[in-house]
Amino acid sequence: MSRLRSNAAAAVALCGAGLLAALALWSLPWKAGLGPAPTPFDRSAVPQLAPTYGLLAAAAGVIPAGASFAVRAEPRDAGVESDGHRLGLALLPGRRVLPAAYLGVFTPEEIWRDADYVVVVGRRPAGADGAPLLETPAGSVWRRPGRP
Amino acid sequence: MSGIAGLAVTALLAAAAGSPLLSRAAFRGLTAPARVVLSAAAGAVLLSFAMTLFSFAGVSWNVAFLAGTAALIAALAARGLGIPAEPRAARAAVPPLASAAAACSIAAVLAAAAATESGAATSVDLFFFWGPKAQQFAAARGVDAAYLDEFFHRFMHPYYPPLVANLQAFAALVTGRFAWGAALATFPLLLAALAIALPGTLRAAAPARGLAAAASALAVGAVALIGIRAGIAGNGDMPLVFFEALAVALLLRADARAPGIELLSGILLAGAATAKVEGFVFALAAAALALVPRLRAPDTLPASAVRLLAPPVLALGAWFLFGGSRGLFRQSAEYGPFGVLHLEHARGITAAIGATLAHTAKALPYIVPLACLVAAGRPTRAALLPLGLAAAVVVFALFAYLHMAGDPRLWIEWSAPRVLMPVPVLLALALYAGRAGGEPGREGRSPR
Repeated sequence: MSRLRSNAAAAVALCGAGLLAALALWSLPWKAGLGPAPTPFDRSAVPQLAPTYGLLAAAAGVIPAGASFAVRAEPRDAGVESDGHRLGLALLPGRRVLPAAYLGVFTPEEIWRDADYVVVVGRRPAGADGAPLLETPAGSVWRRPGRP
Repeated sequence: MSGIAGLAVTALLAAAAGSPLLSRAAFRGLTAPARVVLSAAAGAVLLSFAMTLFSFAGVSWNVAFLAGTAALIAALAARGLGIPAEPRAARAAVPPLASAAAACSIAAVLAAAAATESGAATSVDLFFFWGPKAQQFAAARGVDAAYLDEFFHRFMHPYYPPLVANLQAFAALVTGRFAWGAALATFPLLLAALAIALPGTLRAAAPARGLAAAASALAVGAVALIGIRAGIAGNGDMPLVFFEALAVALLLRADARAPGIELLSGILLAGAATAKVEGFVFALAAAALALVPRLRAPDTLPASAVRLLAPPVLALGAWFLFGGSRGLFRQSAEYGPFGVLHLEHARGITAAIGATLAHTAKALPYIVPLACLVAAGRPTRAALLPLGLAAAVVVFALFAYLHMAGDPRLWIEWSAPRVLMPVPVLLALALYAGRAGGEPGREGRSPR
């Protein structure tokens, strides 16, 4: 009797396991492809982070260790800039990230205006001095005049 | 070294650190694959414990020294408790049901791996706080309190328990850099480890092999589906559910009262307690529920309580010592004072949880294990442990959400599917409990 109950419970659990495994496979992004995406966010629940991620990953090649930088959006967007600050800490270790916005709120300009570099998410800023160090479809990286 | 190679070496070092404990005869009742995974799990907990102690003492982290210290703690724990030998796990033919269950688990793990590789399961929390912390800890060769305490870093929850960041930092030290891809891969890898270890940990007697495998596959399928839909790759939720599931599985064994099994369960509960805040509540509730049936044996109760509770208390104590001495707990009331509940939000919270779960594969990863449990018939008395724990997980989640003074809906949307992920795992374990022949703890009682 005990073995019968055990087998019945096992059969029920197996049906559930099969259903959940099938749903897990079904929930994969088959249409978009199962290969690596350009960034870890393109096919995630937060694809809006992908441009900032891609730009900051590229910026790591031009912003040297020990330098400071800020992430701004063009046009200004406290949400994008907050996320840029957080992703900057992750992707550019060894640099000082000065927040232009924090937790969705703009910070006072004196906190980040002395940054050596500015990463601009979005279109090229109007009236910018000089040439950008790096330009991608997601944005650009600028060295402040007179900085190393 | 590549990130995945670094992760593999980290897992091997963790298994080596745990081996002085798991190689003891006391654990011969477990299958060999389960022993290897449990050895790595216990070793990982002890590694994190050693890393926290080193940081408290101001000693720089060194891979070999840390692994050696963790192994020494494992050896001392095993020797100090004088664990007696237990019978070797009986070899038995693999029933067809177990093969089918293994196929389901493999499919679920492959789905998790494909979702992680394609970026569909990425956790934003890995990039927002788990990873930056671990990266900085590895660079500083210790828990960097100054970094955590910087005003614009406080969104990283400085007070949060250290195990996940510690272990990711350990892997970074092994690899020579923080490897984001490897951190993401911890989701399918830990899920695979759970799929390997859970059936062999549950199975105490050969006739239960099919049921143990099927219940494990049910749990693994639920975690895979929630993990993909809620995006948990690289964050603390997979390590948490890994430790929780294995700790409870040990407590459901027929020899659950054997000193070695109790100690190992206590170490895994320490892993849960130091992985995430809710793991502490889980560890406390698990130990309390496990001790209730032991009240009938007052002579062995104190020793059982020590084996189950001392590891979480020591692991968290080390963190509280470190954090308290460095002022890291100033922000711990960010969700509101402990005693203040905003009951006016209760209805909205319930509705938001329902809506969020409905958005997670139509709540099927939660409903299917529940339906299986109901269909399997009346739960046994042994199921009280996993069912009580499932209730504790739900109550704690509600308690946490009720603390928020503002509208908690966005927080719920982000967290509820992950925070409630242990529930379907516990329902699957409840389905197993008591139907495998013999009540938990019936064997292996010791006068010790």
